[in-house]
Amino acid sequence: MKGFRRHTIMVLSLSIILLLLWTYPISSAEKAPYKIGVNLGLTGPYAEVCKTLKMAMVMEVERINARGGVNGHPLELVIEDNGFDLGRAAANMTKFARDKEILVVVGPFEDNFQATTRAIAERDGIINIIFCPSNPMVRALKQRWSFNIAQSDILVSQKLVDLCLARGYKKVLVFPGNWPLAQSLAEYLKRFGEEKGIKVIISKETHKPGDIDMTPQLIKLKPTIEAEKVDALYASTGGPAGPIICKNMRTLGITIPVLGTHAFGFGFYIKLGGEAMEGVEFPAGKPVVPYQLDKDDTVRPMIIAFDQRMKARYKVGADQLSGHSYDVIWLLHNALERCKGKVTRAKLRDALENTKEFKGCTGVYNYSSTDHDGLSKKDLVFIRIQGQRFVRVKFPKFE
Amino acid sequence: MTPWSLIPHLLTSGITIGAIYALVALGFVTIYRASQIINFAQGEFVMLGGIITFFFLRGGGIPYPLAALLAVILVIIIGLLLQVLVVYPLRKASVLIPLMATLGASIFLSNTSGLIFGTLPKVLPPFSGERPLEIGGIPIAPQSLWVLGATFLLLITLYILSHRMLLGKAMEASSTDPLGAELVGISRNLMVLVAFGVSAGVGALAGIFITPIFYTSYNSGTLLGLKGFVAAVLGGWGKNGGAVLGGFTLGIVESMSVAFIPSGYKDAVAFVILLLILYIRPKGILGSPFIDSRRW
Amino acid sequence: MVERIRREFRKRDLCYLGALLLLPLIWPDPHLHHLLVLAGIYAILALGLSLFLGYAGQISLGHAAFFGIGAYTTAILTTRYSVPTFVAFWASAATAAVIAYLIGRPILKLKGYFLALATLGFGEIFLVMVRESRSLTGGVSGIFGIPWFSLAGFSFDTYLKQYYLIWGVLLGLLLFAKNLVRSKVGRASLAVATSEDAASTVGIKVAQVKVGVFVVSAAFAGFAGSLFACVMSTASPEAFGLSLSILIVMMVIVGGMGNLYGPIVAAIFLTWLLDILGGYQEYSLPIYGVILILLLIFFPEGIGTRLGIRLMYLISYRGRKKKREEVQL
Repeated sequence: MKGFRRHTIMVLSLSIILLLLWTYPISSAEKAPYKIGVNLGLTGPYAEVCKTLKMAMVMEVERINARGGVNGHPLELVIEDNGFDLGRAAANMTKFARDKEILVVVGPFEDNFQATTRAIAERDGIINIIFCPSNPMVRALKQRWSFNIAQSDILVSQKLVDLCLARGYKKVLVFPGNWPLAQSLAEYLKRFGEEKGIKVIISKETHKPGDIDMTPQLIKLKPTIEAEKVDALYASTGGPAGPIICKNMRTLGITIPVLGTHAFGFGFYIKLGGEAMEGVEFPAGKPVVPYQLDKDDTVRPMIIAFDQRMKARYKVGADQLSGHSYDVIWLLHNALERCKGKVTRAKLRDALENTKEFKGCTGVYNYSSTDHDGLSKKDLVFIRIQGQRFVRVKFPKFE
Repeated sequence: MTPWSLIPHLLTSGITIGAIYALVALGFVTIYRASQIINFAQGEFVMLGGIITFFFLRGGGIPYPLAALLAVILVIIIGLLLQVLVVYPLRKASVLIPLMATLGASIFLSNTSGLIFGTLPKVLPPFSGERPLEIGGIPIAPQSLWVLGATFLLLITLYILSHRMLLGKAMEASSTDPLGAELVGISRNLMVLVAFGVSAGVGALAGIFITPIFYTSYNSGTLLGLKGFVAAVLGGWGKNGGAVLGGFTLGIVESMSVAFIPSGYKDAVAFVILLLILYIRPKGILGSPFIDSRRW
Repeated sequence: MVERIRREFRKRDLCYLGALLLLPLIWPDPHLHHLLVLAGIYAILALGLSLFLGYAGQISLGHAAFFGIGAYTTAILTTRYSVPTFVAFWASAATAAVIAYLIGRPILKLKGYFLALATLGFGEIFLVMVRESRSLTGGVSGIFGIPWFSLAGFSFDTYLKQYYLIWGVLLGLLLFAKNLVRSKVGRASLAVATSEDAASTVGIKVAQVKVGVFVVSAAFAGFAGSLFACVMSTASPEAFGLSLSILIVMMVIVGGMGNLYGPIVAAIFLTWLLDILGGYQEYSLPIYGVILILLLIFFPEGIGTRLGIRLMYLISYRGRKKKREEVQL
């Protein structure tokens, strides 16, 4: 009998949990909202990034709805976590594609999942907006249903070459991370750099996102740096690996300047790296330095207003990621407004492709049926970490 | 520039990272000595130690030593709760099931910590400044010396606990022969409980010592736990000395391998060494008193 | 009595089969089909591991590597050498089996935790190799554009078609596994699981049996990996890490060790659970952890163990009475 009672308890407790899961609140439909699916890894290694993206999107959608939505229709976010798992990311994508009311899917953030979701988007005919695209092989596919937000690796690398030219660096050593975005940043720097006569050495030593100590790799690079008289080290990386590299370099007594990627433009880099981050320079999006932009910069007022809204609500300023979220929501707002009649996925896609001179936080977007990246080199600025904050630097010939 | 000239530098960096693996491995061994359970949530104790200290220090404005003490106490409570809520109900199940349950607990702990304390990586101020010391021309971060000191202090403490005190002997007895231990009046459940408390404390201390050098984020516990487990087996499963030796071996081999092959292979090197040692000398470097095929 | 139970089981099996055939037609929902496709792939993996874990009593935390070997074999053969997917499918299983045989001989001398750690190490080494051999595997970026699975000109290009393909493969492998378990090898492996010493005293070649079961379970993983590559159309290292190995072990345990239906039930259950949890955003993994712990505490034998009999017990009074007698015994 004892066994039976135990059985009952477990059946009961499990069924309660499952019941709770089933009755997950699905918000009641108002006047035919435009639904936006969000497919992000809110748990797992990119949780912080994805949380920021989500926060800003939620804020901007609420703001649009408070103003009366788009042509009277409210926007609605349907957010699903993919837990940094390829299978789940793909399943979320079909879940969204199935729901005819969902017009567009935002995410995932992870490099390798984007290829799969893009393929699903292409097959099922749903718009997929992707953050921080990197994979050159995927980009070559020229898929019409996926749009990219954020500066591509090509733009960042071109801007970085400008930085090297402005500073007069003739020889740059690249210490790349071993993930797609970091690798393609390194390779593009080599390609564009060598066109301009800069010698770029890509080191065979790499690092992984989870590495907690880069000292062994840097010890091995140190003789190369000294023998080749390298002018600067380019840490083609992102996440906590950036400050770790700077800190380990300073401990080892390597004093050459460090160049970073646009992923360096986040406040936690300075908090983690402390003194070691002084003097690091990198190209980044404009939201990193909202108050140091030119007075006549067309996107300046928008970024400042957005920054103040973020501070009022979440007590953190705008950064590049929340800027991307802003761009997604307002790009869609812009395109939806231009749609005539009943909005379908195909109509929305065509409207998005016709986006011209849209001013977002990240820059000015000009999509076309052949260009789904939309941005240009002008949307990046040079940043230097000085006195524990981001300072914009300008060079006469290079913006 | 031959690879050999890099060796002294790589050795120092390997020793630092080895000390960290050793600290994590000690926690694994403590629980295993008392209960034959592998606690995959051990890495989470380390993570929680660092992150809770950070929380008290930055969020609560509590002085550093007090914040550290509070964090250790909190983590010990979490460790005890883990035993009471997860491991105790599974005391009669076969060995694999508690192992998977601690994995579930590890998923829960790391993600809950991300929810409560935020998902950004955290760094604590070093105990004694950031200026690297020069020893024989090799720069060393002062915090590395603290980590080394902590490793040896904890090793000695745990040695005294398990070999010179009645409590430690009782813990070992209840592990090697549960029935016999019960007969002479040792409560097995109490021993396991104490072991979880001790290993949670060891883990939390490890976390506090390493967070100033290596950033601790909510999901860094898994990797540390894995490396610690490898270190514990490498050195000789079930021995405190083995855990420390295994930790240093792993750290030094990983670091030194960079001199000869591209660093992308660093992680593979650790596991290749592990497989070789398991194949040639299955009991680990120091040999293990705990190999008992009957339990499997 | 024995005869009756056997008849019950046959009837039950037919019911399950009918339900599986009709299920996607009753709910023509592509998302459900997609989930069932994924669940089917995980079920093939879990079925293979169940042979190794449940029937031979050995633990493997590196099964995702064989899954990955299968996926990469298919990816490389189909994209680089335009080999038909059907051929690549078999080649994947063969590659996984050969590698399992090569590493199985030395590794399987280890026991318990040591074996767990050694297989885990194998999984990590596999990942490093995939990341570093850039010319072959595409490195961290992986391989894209793997074609759909096709057979004699018929392409499995929708989730519905893939569902029937994958569950068909699963059914075939299940029948194979059932026969294997009942065969001489299967009985020998059960004996090895119970006690290796006793098994060797009655003349069972323990090492050979263990390696044999390991190879079979790796081949299952190879099949699953090949199908996964075709369904996802990509292969990249992130998908074959430790977390997948752990998920599969969890499926076998939740399903019930020493039981072939259990892993399949558990694969469906856990895939569905993870999908539902997605809506909980940041809370999804904490809830997942708690559910796993509760499952292990309350179903230490697995949810699939004697599922049919349990249901019968719950429904019929006679069954309950009989269970009480069992308990008293």
